[in-house]
Amino acid sequence: MSRFWKWTLGSFVGLLVAAFVGLSFMAGSPKDVYGLVRYALPHMHRGKLRAGDDAPDVKLLTLDGSSHFHLRERTGARPLVVIFGSYT
Amino acid sequence: MVKIYNDYKDHADFLTVYVREAHPTDEWQMKSNVKEDVCYAQPKTLEQRVAIAKDFVQRQKYPLPFGIDDMNNAADLAYSAWPERLYILDEHGRVAYAGGMGPFNYNPDEVRAWLAKRFGAVTQTSSAAAPSEP
Repeated sequence: MSRFWKWTLGSFVGLLVAAFVGLSFMAGSPKDVYGLVRYALPHMHRGKLRAGDDAPDVKLLTLDGSSHFHLRERTGARPLVVIFGSYT
Repeated sequence: MVKIYNDYKDHADFLTVYVREAHPTDEWQMKSNVKEDVCYAQPKTLEQRVAIAKDFVQRQKYPLPFGIDDMNNAADLAYSAWPERLYILDEHGRVAYAGGMGPFNYNPDEVRAWLAKRFGAVTQTSSAAAPSEP
């Protein structure tokens, strides 16, 4: 193997190791790297809404599951702090 | 966010929106969720999603007004909400503050700063142990 290809291969492996270490740090542990890459990274570029944009209206379900309401119904009188999240 | 809610609920409205699970048992489950016995598969039906949201509110004694995203994930898609994100909408229906994607850029302090700039600093209450999610 020529010196060029040795350096190329070594650099590639080094980058892979660095990427794995970096992702392990972000995910919390090496075992969580797959989850981070599979489920989180595809969403990390998302988020196009900016201050000044019209807030999209969406239909939501009440906690008792019996009826729907629109997000924009909650805006108008005062600022509305919206917290998106899940249990896990 | 519960502390901020208690501090500013007389000045602003609050709404928590439950979106699809971030770390369900059938996707990327976290050890911390196993340790805390917060283990749910990703809901496949609206009834399952409602049941988890109810579990969260009851177990955490979560006081904020609550809404649940539909199974078409319309709120998640419109607001890039997953896994967690914060917004403030003004009285005219416009985005006044758009937070970053959680957990790395989920920053309640920025919400508090926005509210403090608008209404003044408020730290009048000491709430009970606040849940970390949502």
